[in-house]
Amino acid sequence: MSGDEGWDTIVVGAGAGGGAAAYGLTRRGRSVLLLDAGPRFDPSTDYPLSGADWELREFPQKPGSTGQVTFAPGQKLGREPLLASGSRGWGPLANGATRLMDGYRHVRGIGGTTLHFTGEAHRIHPAAMKMKTRFGVAADWPFDYGALEPYYVEAEELIGVAGPATQGARWRSRGFPLPPHPLSYASQTLGKGAKALGLDWQANSRAALSLPWNGRPPCNYCGACNKGCPIGDKGSADVTFIAAALQTGRCTVRAESPVIRIEAGPNDGIAAVLVGRPDGSIERIAAKQVVLACGAVETPRLLLASEGLANESGEVGQNFMDTLFVNVGALHPEPQHSRRGLPSDAIAWDFNAPDAIPGVIGGCRFYNASGEAELGGLAAFALRAVPGWGRDHAKSVRDLWGHALHVGAIGEQLPNRESRVDLDPDARDRFGVPLARIASALAEADIARLRFMVEKSRELLAASGARRIYESYSSWDWFAATHVFGTCRMGDDPASSVVDAFGQSHRWRNLWIADASVFPSSGGGEAPSLTIEALALRTAARMASI
Amino acid sequence: MKRRHLLALLGTFSFGGAAAPWRLVATPLRAPGTREHVTRSMAAVAETMFPGDGLPGAAALGVHQQVLAVPDLQARIAQGMAWLDRHAASLGAADFLALDQAGRLAALDAAFASRDDGIQLFVLTMRDHLGTAYYSTPAIKSAFAYTGPPQPDGFADFQQRPS
Repeated sequence: MSGDEGWDTIVVGAGAGGGAAAYGLTRRGRSVLLLDAGPRFDPSTDYPLSGADWELREFPQKPGSTGQVTFAPGQKLGREPLLASGSRGWGPLANGATRLMDGYRHVRGIGGTTLHFTGEAHRIHPAAMKMKTRFGVAADWPFDYGALEPYYVEAEELIGVAGPATQGARWRSRGFPLPPHPLSYASQTLGKGAKALGLDWQANSRAALSLPWNGRPPCNYCGACNKGCPIGDKGSADVTFIAAALQTGRCTVRAESPVIRIEAGPNDGIAAVLVGRPDGSIERIAAKQVVLACGAVETPRLLLASEGLANESGEVGQNFMDTLFVNVGALHPEPQHSRRGLPSDAIAWDFNAPDAIPGVIGGCRFYNASGEAELGGLAAFALRAVPGWGRDHAKSVRDLWGHALHVGAIGEQLPNRESRVDLDPDARDRFGVPLARIASALAEADIARLRFMVEKSRELLAASGARRIYESYSSWDWFAATHVFGTCRMGDDPASSVVDAFGQSHRWRNLWIADASVFPSSGGGEAPSLTIEALALRTAARMASI
Repeated sequence: MKRRHLLALLGTFSFGGAAAPWRLVATPLRAPGTREHVTRSMAAVAETMFPGDGLPGAAALGVHQQVLAVPDLQARIAQGMAWLDRHAASLGAADFLALDQAGRLAALDAAFASRDDGIQLFVLTMRDHLGTAYYSTPAIKSAFAYTGPPQPDGFADFQQRPS
């Protein structure tokens, strides 16, 4: 047994939520042990992005940097030609009969999934927090936007978010700390199309520095955020919240330390966490307070594997949501070379409000998706955008290289009872803990929202002059979740939620959750990291006040 | 859509259990002369798929050697080459290598259209591996604008029309 150091709080998971919770606690004088199952990454050596083979390098895989999950069988598909995923060069992605359960995109390690995220920094639409009251779907957040706003400000200041003066319904008590990034040439081209369609195409708010900030350099617009940021301008949790927590001298960070069980104690309290060691042995660490921040897949898994801890409501693992996505690529008559610049640098929020899409509840947003399309390099372009082979193929590659534009859309998925995370009865990890099993099903409203997203993406490309569509991918037939939510829903009623408005377990008074599993609804396509961080800061403030 | 995802997916489709064809071809591949035949045939496939259009072709750059060195592809390559040789024989040629350039192109098109087990997948896999290697070769990339690494310079001209 260890734990002699006597940390005030053990935070499990060193991503957006865990990093922000650790920072929020340590800056208030609390000591924190921050554990993560994955390794440490060194940007200068793990993703330098300066070699000739840069295109073939994705965000690096290291031992333990990806968790194991399994999937329930994919949903049976109807006929939706517009939503089918595939490219002219690679052909169809899925078999057309069932949804391809391809993966849960995440990173385990110090910094978590923020290490490979694009770095959009979004506040949730205020109306999207009241889906039950206003629209009769999903569940309400147990507080209003105003209760979260001060923590958004705190997170934005620490990160150095660059953004425009206003973002419509998302009112602000203070401006973004940094000015917005200039739009890339490709985004300017798309902006002309957006204007023709009457869309408000504006600079996206980004966790990437437009000016030096807190000792970090500004972005140099290399366009490769998803491969890892080697210069440190991207506001991943490792270079922001965790770095700041370490500066207090009250934070201890341990990588490669998977928590495999939460041990309950007397009087509705958590007694300890059990941590797997690389040699296969198990370490018990006594706990005063525990914050779970493993994400909406691993947090419910850990609770369920701990004899159903905190599952008095039966809602642990239920209400799983992943954001709907669309990504459409087309060729423009003029060269764009859209790999230049900040990915997702421009956005249209016009359909983000829950009632903004005609006939469908739940919002979405559109953005320049050239960076996220992973089409930055010549090889990917040649094989995806240009079909066939031979001399005609070679000539087309020469003629068309650099002409690609992508528009993406991300939208809300409403919770349903078929979408959940539970424990796989047949698969276990090396410590004998059952793996998380993900089941995801789209309801008709989700599919209708996806149709709108594809149609509008195509309209935007066409209005921008890019009419030769060569690929289209969507989550209709391709489950490849990056943003996941809802599996430990927060609420005021212990019978229908797992934690309260501050992330505290209704029963276990020293157990807290600070990740996207507490979201009662996913929002209308906003990237969730900033909201996760704001929630975690709010949780930390609450913990420190008790 | 990331390439490694595509490759993972390719691995899940047909080619009816890679172990079986591997057993069938393992011995012939070890026989004297067979390896050379496969190597020369792969060079021909590479050159047919990616001839260069004024740039060096894939075979001249040795791209086929890179793909031949991938252990997981051995069975697939052997099966695909055997199909191409049989197809050429059905046309009266000794083997795929005996076809002229137009004939080789037609043979690849026929393989892609074939419903024979794993043959379309063979073509797609070769296209992906050979094409990725070919268009990642410095000699080819240097002939195209904006193909350098993202770092350390980034793109100072990101707001401007491409030069």
